[in-house]
Amino acid sequence: MKKIFAYAVTYKFSAVIAILLMLIELVVELVQPLLMARIIDDGIMQEDYTVVATWGGVLVGLSLLAFAAGITNSFFAANVSQGVGYDLRRDLFKKVQSFSNENFQSYSTPNLVTRMTNDVIQIQNLVLMLMRIALRAPLFIIFALVMAFTVNVQLAFILLIAVPVLGAFLFWVLLKGIKLFKRVQTKLDGVNTVIRENLTGIRLVKGFNRGEYEEERFHEVNHSLMDKNKRALWLMELAMPVVMLGMNVIILILLWVGAVQLNLGTAQPGEVVAIINYATRIMFTFSIFSFLIMVFSRGNASANRVSDVLNERTPDFNRQGGRDTLLKGNIEFEGVTFSRGEAETLTDISFSARSGEMIGILGETGSGKTSLLHLIPRLFEKDSGSILLDEQEIEELDVHAIRRQISLVPQEVHLFSGTVKENIAWGKENATDEEIMKAAKNAEIHSFISTLPNGYESRIGQRGVSFSGGQKQRLSIARALVRNPKILILDDSTSALDAHTEARLLRTLKQQKCTIFMVAQKISSLKAAHKILLLERGEIIAEGDHEELLEYSAYYREVYQSQQEVVM
Amino acid sequence: MVDKQKPNRAPINRHHGIGTKPPKVDDMKATLKRIWSYMVSEKKLFNTVLAIILLSSVLSLLGPYLLGVAVDRVIAEPATNTLLIMLSLLLGVYVLHSAFLWLQNYLMIGISQNTVYRMRNHLFSHLQRLPLLFFQKKQQGELMSRLTNDMENVSRTLNTAIIQFVTSILTILGTVVIMLILSPVLTLMTLTIVPVMYFGMKWITKRTGRYFKEQQKHLGEVNGYVEEMFSGQMIISMFSREDRVIKEFETKNEALKASGYWAQTYSGFIPKLMNMLNNVSFAIIVGAGGLLALNGSISIGIIVTFTTYSRQFTRPLNDLANQYNMILSAVAGAERVFQIIDEAEEKKDEGKASAIQSIHGDIEFRSVYFSYDEDEDTLSNISFRASKGQTVALVGPTGAGKTTIISLLSRFYETDGGSILVDGKDIKTITRDSLRSQMRVVLQDSTMFHTTIRENIRYGRLEASDDEVETAAKEAHAHDFITQLRDGYDTVLDSDGKGVSHGQRQLLSIARAMLADPALLILDEATSSIDTVTEMKINDALGKLMKNRTSFVIAHRLNTIRSADQILVLEHGEIIEKGSHRELVDQGGFYANMVAAQQAESQASV
Repeated sequence: MKKIFAYAVTYKFSAVIAILLMLIELVVELVQPLLMARIIDDGIMQEDYTVVATWGGVLVGLSLLAFAAGITNSFFAANVSQGVGYDLRRDLFKKVQSFSNENFQSYSTPNLVTRMTNDVIQIQNLVLMLMRIALRAPLFIIFALVMAFTVNVQLAFILLIAVPVLGAFLFWVLLKGIKLFKRVQTKLDGVNTVIRENLTGIRLVKGFNRGEYEEERFHEVNHSLMDKNKRALWLMELAMPVVMLGMNVIILILLWVGAVQLNLGTAQPGEVVAIINYATRIMFTFSIFSFLIMVFSRGNASANRVSDVLNERTPDFNRQGGRDTLLKGNIEFEGVTFSRGEAETLTDISFSARSGEMIGILGETGSGKTSLLHLIPRLFEKDSGSILLDEQEIEELDVHAIRRQISLVPQEVHLFSGTVKENIAWGKENATDEEIMKAAKNAEIHSFISTLPNGYESRIGQRGVSFSGGQKQRLSIARALVRNPKILILDDSTSALDAHTEARLLRTLKQQKCTIFMVAQKISSLKAAHKILLLERGEIIAEGDHEELLEYSAYYREVYQSQQEVVM
Repeated sequence: MVDKQKPNRAPINRHHGIGTKPPKVDDMKATLKRIWSYMVSEKKLFNTVLAIILLSSVLSLLGPYLLGVAVDRVIAEPATNTLLIMLSLLLGVYVLHSAFLWLQNYLMIGISQNTVYRMRNHLFSHLQRLPLLFFQKKQQGELMSRLTNDMENVSRTLNTAIIQFVTSILTILGTVVIMLILSPVLTLMTLTIVPVMYFGMKWITKRTGRYFKEQQKHLGEVNGYVEEMFSGQMIISMFSREDRVIKEFETKNEALKASGYWAQTYSGFIPKLMNMLNNVSFAIIVGAGGLLALNGSISIGIIVTFTTYSRQFTRPLNDLANQYNMILSAVAGAERVFQIIDEAEEKKDEGKASAIQSIHGDIEFRSVYFSYDEDEDTLSNISFRASKGQTVALVGPTGAGKTTIISLLSRFYETDGGSILVDGKDIKTITRDSLRSQMRVVLQDSTMFHTTIRENIRYGRLEASDDEVETAAKEAHAHDFITQLRDGYDTVLDSDGKGVSHGQRQLLSIARAMLADPALLILDEATSSIDTVTEMKINDALGKLMKNRTSFVIAHRLNTIRSADQILVLEHGEIIEKGSHRELVDQGGFYANMVAAQQAESQASV
């Protein structure tokens, strides 16, 4: 919550103006009844029309002033709340940009999206309310109390005791409300998760004919969201009737005590009327409070969820600061271990690759190939050992500088909405049309793009759904090639290509002036490698070129034979 | 082909329509009516709430009136016993008032949350019935925003707006009646502010309405962008695109801020305007009333009571204006929700379609045509037959139409020409659900759900026991890696599949299919990310699975294809070769070349 207030500080100028304007309104509002009383008592009652005209004019003048103040307040208040919302979304987005894999483990995408949209909206509402009415309510109550004391001390004491009691009750509702709304937001995450899964996996859901099952699953999360929502709102709605009843009872007590005092002659009738008037006004102000605590508890629950993300510890290697260097493409791993979550994923990995070499990696599903590759551009952080790029410790180098010179084609293709051209240009900002086309040609996708009605300007749906698996893979490879990387990492990224296309692609890749790491399932794709690493359960069990491995590694031979049977 | 003359034709616009309708004035009435249709089943309860609101409104007017009487009594004769009676009466009114207030809110929250629940459910069910193409054309995050943010907006409004709206109207009516009784002349004078109010409100709501709509739209765009970027975070880091992405996000964020700023500013005007008019009306009453009093046509006492009522008159008007504003913003959200509901559903099963209990497994395609866009055929003249238990392999360059054939068989898309027969029956005479429940598809993108591995596998057959799940996992060779995870089968997977590798997810997908007992099996690049040794191991299991079942296999690896009974070679959406491995190799065509290429590569190293 504190963190969120720090955001409002950026807009302190607007905030102060907004609050000052609100105070002007408040003062006018407080003076109004006095003026009205004056007009009625001294004007109408005394039939003195000049008093009515003068004070009536003053009243209208003040009203216009308050109106002007109020309108101006709207601009400044909106500026503060929208500004805070904007800043929060910006910082959340930036923060997530520096998230590491571990961070993503604790926040799923739909969860983060809810926080960036719904939760920020709740906070915006809270800020807006603070700027517009929140201060008014307590100030109004305090003012009314003070006025009551100037009228009749004894009767005012009753109010002085009653107000904090009711205040405490509202505070209790607030605290409970924060808890309940936190649950509501969590349930909202749940609903969003099911929705997202169904949008992403709609093919599977339809293919498995699981529509009804999914509907049932959705009904369940939806139901529990409704449940939690009802609970939170029911509590909130309890506040107003209780406070009103409390205040009304206080008024009755005041009336009773007032009657007693009138009997004793210690109070004047006017005083009793005035005090009851103030009590009534306090009651109405309290009913504003019950609305405020709703916004406040929602906003608070959301503020905590947003702060959680902002306070998430992200690895600091993502910040700039290391040495900038032009890579040649030599890589050396020395006793590198890496673990993901519980189990050790890579153990004591040592190998070296020289600039321009092609390194093949072969291993069973889950043997740690992807983890190994992700260590090179520091998408993962090793636990121990050392990784040297051109004889320099990888940690000493600027991470962005390294990444600029490395291209990784992941196993799963992720394209972004936009045109084909834009997607390829992801690999290199300001890439020229020639460079893009060259990359596409090298990735064997140019001729396909040319057949599209809009060529390179054709739009790609999210996740590239209207392209086939192989076309997506080749676009993803083009994206990697366009930056002319010094190190190219292909994580099983030719799996959906037919043999013809793959063979052509591999020939082109070999001509690139870079060190290539390539994971593949087919030995035919790897046999041209200078060196092949055989991975099993996170360890390198054999290393060498195709011939050497055929000779020394039983496992390699087995794999090889499994694929040779094909060619009968 | 015909369309080539129109160069700038958007590539896809069959399912256009979301968010493109210009806002219309009478949209609001229609939208409110539609929201009501979700509430109508609780009409009785709703009427009860209205009745309670009526009671509580009467009580809320009665309370101050009685209090006034009591105060007068106290002042007149402080020491009578009637005071006690008076106070008890008041206490009764207050208790009842609070009780009714609570009851109306309690019931209304129930109704409104049930309504939102129903709307969400309907929306989700509808989503399940939309054709696959719809999802392929829409940005996922933008859709999500409609399902979540816009629904939340409706939810927030329904909770309070209706009660306040009705209360305000009742109070206004009551007050006007009392005012008319007191003095018709002064009432008319008080009402002179109403036109000003009306035009003021119109001026404001015209703007707020527009900006609320814009705000929701921009929120949807922000949501869409964020969703897309976060799920592709790895690519962003890899390509060091953080700054660029942040910059792009900021433009969207700014657009949202701008529309939000104006929506909020303009809606902030409403209470201020009301307050001002309130004071002006007071001035009018005392001013004009004073004049009238001077010439004796009105009593001073009436002016005094009148001023209190005129204040009571504007307070609910103020509320009304605020509520109206909230309703506007909710309508903006609801419209976006209804746009999805208005999207055409996947075609209904044809009238004569009947459910099938089981299928034998004979499949026939008779000169089937299909195109995604009108201008280009994706598939043309596809004809082949597969009899029960056969394995059909689909081979061809990427984009040749292999997946499309399978999608037509599952009726994800509708053929444009020709027919598809299952056991000699046109699939159009079979209900989609019963047809799909006879087949299992294993896709290359192995979708996982945010739940345990066990439940993810069980998705194949929901009633499968834990033992059966494990047996299936063992057959798919997924058991080993699962048991190595700390929580084993209870490991919760992320919906993006983070935590297990792509190949491992494919193994889980296969286990899922193993668990089911379909008549038709479809493997679409199901083993592409699995190493060949593991693949060999599961091939036995897959072989068992495919035995006695008609299977369709899309794969690039020859060893998967080789043993197929029939191989269809596709190019540019046409079948160019058809036959068994042997036959096609002997034929010396495209397939033979392909085999030769792979052979050459494999053997070059020997």
